[in-house]
Amino acid sequence: MALIRSVFQDELDGVSQSLVDLTEMVALSISKATASVLTSDLKLAEEVISTDDHIDNYQHDLDARIIDIIARQQPVASDLRALVTALRMSADLERMGDMAHHIAKISRLCHPDSAVPTELTPVFQAMGSAAEKITNKTGVVIATRDTEMALEVERDDDEIDKLHRQLIGTLVDPKWAHGVETAINLTLLGRYYERYADHAVSVSRRVYFLVTGKYA
Amino acid sequence: MTTSHESEKKIMDTTVKPSSFADVAQAKPAKTPGTRALGKGLETRGVHAWFGKHHVLSNISLDFAAGTVTALIGPSGCGKSTFIRTINRMHEFIPGAAMAGEVLLDGKDVYASGTDVTKIRLQIGMVFQKPNPFPSMTIGENVLSGLKLAQLKVDNKDDLLEESLERAGLWSEVKDRLSAHGGSLSGGQQQRLCIARALAVRPQVLLMDEPCSALDPGSTLRIEETIRHLSDTMTIIIVTHNMQQAARVSDYTAFFLSDGGPGQMIEVAPTSEIFSRPQDQRTENYVTGRFG
Repeated sequence: MALIRSVFQDELDGVSQSLVDLTEMVALSISKATASVLTSDLKLAEEVISTDDHIDNYQHDLDARIIDIIARQQPVASDLRALVTALRMSADLERMGDMAHHIAKISRLCHPDSAVPTELTPVFQAMGSAAEKITNKTGVVIATRDTEMALEVERDDDEIDKLHRQLIGTLVDPKWAHGVETAINLTLLGRYYERYADHAVSVSRRVYFLVTGKYA
Repeated sequence: MTTSHESEKKIMDTTVKPSSFADVAQAKPAKTPGTRALGKGLETRGVHAWFGKHHVLSNISLDFAAGTVTALIGPSGCGKSTFIRTINRMHEFIPGAAMAGEVLLDGKDVYASGTDVTKIRLQIGMVFQKPNPFPSMTIGENVLSGLKLAQLKVDNKDDLLEESLERAGLWSEVKDRLSAHGGSLSGGQQQRLCIARALAVRPQVLLMDEPCSALDPGSTLRIEETIRHLSDTMTIIIVTHNMQQAARVSDYTAFFLSDGGPGQMIEVAPTSEIFSRPQDQRTENYVTGRFG
């Protein structure tokens, strides 16, 4: 029979792995959502939209497991920080899934047309690529608890913020020629990517706190 | 991996810089003054203890500010109980036992030559692991037994009896049967009776050696409420193996450990720090249940 504390350690490791799994699900969603927006792919958009329920359920199950562990094991110190931050991280990851879901819904709304005019395609390609990169790095931060890498994620977010500002600059330019509806959709899309990355930063900051007991 | 030299240095560092009264004042700004003067508190300076040639406790320096609760935690055999028994000079009862260092109550060494040991034990009371009321005495006689043994006189014994039982959280349960024998009470009530007995001689400091280890959760909760209530008027030091209890009732927690040699104090800090961000990995490993 396993030692009680060894069972507890397995449970903690399981929570950490579930967060990594959740991050991978979200990474796949944002990748597909970006592709659906850039190529007007309705099938991909529908896949992202239906996957969001799965992400939500996964988060609910994970939170229930964490609450159960807290109730039974009464953790303190770094164990308590690990579980409390896991609850917060799962909420951030779930919101990242929501952002991908919102992006896919705009793609579906505009179908068969593209939500993104040709001249702005490079901006959204860059935003999608940066969002994927930041998600993958966040997954590594969760798995390895690398505090240096956690701080890097914060710097990576600056890239998305810069693209977001560039997008807004284009939309408010008097030479904008694609109408109000397109501008609204693009404003929302830009906002969703920007918020998505902010949640990734939040996850990384929580890993920093978990390891050091201090806020970054 | 730390070398023995490094760990010795770490231990020396923690003993050179114990929690100060200034820290305590800062940590407890909301605490209201007690109903009587609390004094300056209790200090131990470089306390060592031996049983024969066996060195069981090494160089313990700690400050216990008046009106605070300090929990002593650590695995069995690390010297926690021995340490508190040096504080009220009960350690010396054991044949072959010896100690070195200073125990200062309000700045005066309780081991100074010419000190009246009985008087010290009136000022520094103790509650033990198992409730030990005098079985042949009534509840009332039990509470006032300390006065009788110390030949102390009070103006109104009834008032003192009620006050002591009230402060111990037992008055409402026994006020109509004060002439019943102490042994007729439940385990939890007996322990509170022992607390009332200790309080009747108005000690400045109360030492509690695993006072709830033989009690059910309900009785434990009542004792813990009593501890919180009493800390307004006295200094309390509690030895406990129950991490949750230490976290619930104490303002400060000190972690003791023996690595095969004499027990040492590894870390002392506000309880919230010990249970959220302990500085020493050994403390972290103990409070999280990795050993002990």
